Amino acid sequence: MTHSPFSRAPLRVAVTGGTSGLGLALVEAFAARGDHVAFVARDAGRVGRVADAIAGSHGIVGDVAKKDDVYAVALQIGGALGGLDVLIHNASSLGPVPLALLADTECEDFQAALATNVLGPFRLTKALLGLLAASARESKAEGRRALVVNVTSDAAVHPYAGWGAYGASKAALAHMSSIWHEEVAPHGIAVVAIDPGDMDTPLHAAAVPDADPATLKRPRDAAREIVDRIDRERAGGVRAQLDSRTAGPSAQLDSRTVGPTAQLDSPTAGPSAQFDSDAARLPHLDLHTAVPAGSAE
Amino acid sequence: MKAARQPVQRPRDARLLVVDGAGRIAHHPRSALADLLLAGDLVVANDAATLPASLAGRHLATGAPIEVRLAGRRSLAADDVASFLAVVFGAGDWRTRTEDRPLPTPLAPGDELALGPLVATVVRVVAAPRLVELRFTGVADAIRAGIARHGRPVQYAHVAAPLALWDVWTPIAARPVAFESPSAGFVLDWSVLDRLARRGVGFATLTHAAGLSSTGDAALDARLPFDEPYHLPAATVAAVRAARERGDRVVAIGTTVARALEHAGAQPGGIHAGHAIATNRLGPSTRLGVVDAIVSGTHEPGSSHHELLRAFVAESTLDRIDAALESFDYRTHEFGDSVLIERAVAPRCGYAAPRSNLKTATLANRLGRVRTTLPA
Repeated sequence: MTHSPFSRAPLRVAVTGGTSGLGLALVEAFAARGDHVAFVARDAGRVGRVADAIAGSHGIVGDVAKKDDVYAVALQIGGALGGLDVLIHNASSLGPVPLALLADTECEDFQAALATNVLGPFRLTKALLGLLAASARESKAEGRRALVVNVTSDAAVHPYAGWGAYGASKAALAHMSSIWHEEVAPHGIAVVAIDPGDMDTPLHAAAVPDADPATLKRPRDAAREIVDRIDRERAGGVRAQLDSRTAGPSAQLDSRTVGPTAQLDSPTAGPSAQFDSDAARLPHLDLHTAVPAGSAE
Repeated sequence: MKAARQPVQRPRDARLLVVDGAGRIAHHPRSALADLLLAGDLVVANDAATLPASLAGRHLATGAPIEVRLAGRRSLAADDVASFLAVVFGAGDWRTRTEDRPLPTPLAPGDELALGPLVATVVRVVAAPRLVELRFTGVADAIRAGIARHGRPVQYAHVAAPLALWDVWTPIAARPVAFESPSAGFVLDWSVLDRLARRGVGFATLTHAAGLSSTGDAALDARLPFDEPYHLPAATVAAVRAARERGDRVVAIGTTVARALEHAGAQPGGIHAGHAIATNRLGPSTRLGVVDAIVSGTHEPGSSHHELLRAFVAESTLDRIDAALESFDYRTHEFGDSVLIERAVAPRCGYAAPRSNLKTATLANRLGRVRTTLPA
């Protein structure tokens, strides 16, 4: 599917976790077809480098997990784009790194996963709902819906041992998507959860350090599928697939190479320099080592 | 009236004083707003989100502390974020009433102000000593980030605690272009919008860069409201035209909506979509051409918001409204109670009777059912 930037008005798109992995690929994909993109990530240096590298993109420094950041981020998104047609919650936290059994998961790590994967998308959606509804009212005549995309995972559906904090928080995100959709669909806003499949990203490397990248989907390919899905959802021709697993080729689910045993056997996630994911939660590595056992709660 | 001190947008006990076209007054819980409107009515709200327009910093040449309150802009364009009209205060913060705030150190063109991560230059002094035009240094993204991270919402000495952005953004807040919250919109949340839709009441928005409601400086306050840019979406214009053709009412949520719609309606060829700057001032001599009713906060006599209500009702009615608000202890200011005022049906000052007699009669009948709550 090809897009000519001259055949339609540019989309106004916001992407969280936009400096690495799938988020970066989405920013690149939208920018390449002439859409206006604002992206959010925590590291100011990386935000600046990505914004410089991708012409016309707007980099915003912020942590969606932090309540105090959310409205400042929303303000900058609305200010930079002058409106919002598509909001993509891509930033994700694995919870404990390396992955841990629930029985071995620190409460703080679980909370961090919930903050990034559930509360953050809730708050940011709420703060930007007015912009999305304004977009929907303006494009109602053309039959276009505004769209919220929550990036989920098959770990939200299948109980993989070791993926407790991540899987439970992504399940909450997927269900929240369904409820948001029921509530805001009358206002012309669709909310969908999309599972991009296992990708060769920093987050995946943190979870499964010894995975063979050759067996993983390239973020660029996943981004292209999501962009196509977004175009279909915007047109409203496809009823929102809240379960989301129709998003891409079914092969994505088969490609999962994460054997529960393999993950847990892998000694560590590796040194922090190994992955620069904005989505992976480096600080919690420190928390593990810095907080003496028993003092966590 | 007493000041509303808690920053709760929709307190459960919020009240709504309703004035129908015949000047009759009734008291309702504000949650009943949707029930007071009629199928076919069109509600128009200002969906501007509010900037954290208060920036603390220093006058670079003297080191004197200052607070800048952004107060006006030329356009809503996304990249037009360098130049602002601003009101400048001296030392102190929001805990002091603006009336009692010291003057800023004398400002001159070329003076630089350090405001957190931002640097602004005084381009000109519009009205000494407080009103200036500022220009921020830097690219648009950096200016927006600086305002977002360093700025605070304009605060009120009568509110108990400092306000955060989520306190001042209305539930429908969209583009961040207002300097103070279009607080009449606090009455609307998403469940109210659903109720309006179920009742067959239309809903539309415009985006209007609401300015400061007061500066604490009598000479400046007399100049309010400043010129305010607004944007009227095509869908809103279509909805307004359709309501007028049907003879249904256009209900403005807030003074900014009334100002923008009346400004647009007064243009050659009538109301049309797009960007414009509201330079009008609504008052006793205004002939309303678009707006049939207004939902507003309760405003104290003398304020520009209060003056605007004279466009809707005769002085004698406004006096009765003020007396009712006072004797029934309505709460005032941004987080206070509200009024719903339908413009007077009886011809006055020579303008023709409005076309919504039938609907007005229906509202009057509704009011008749709650007459037990009317003041004696």
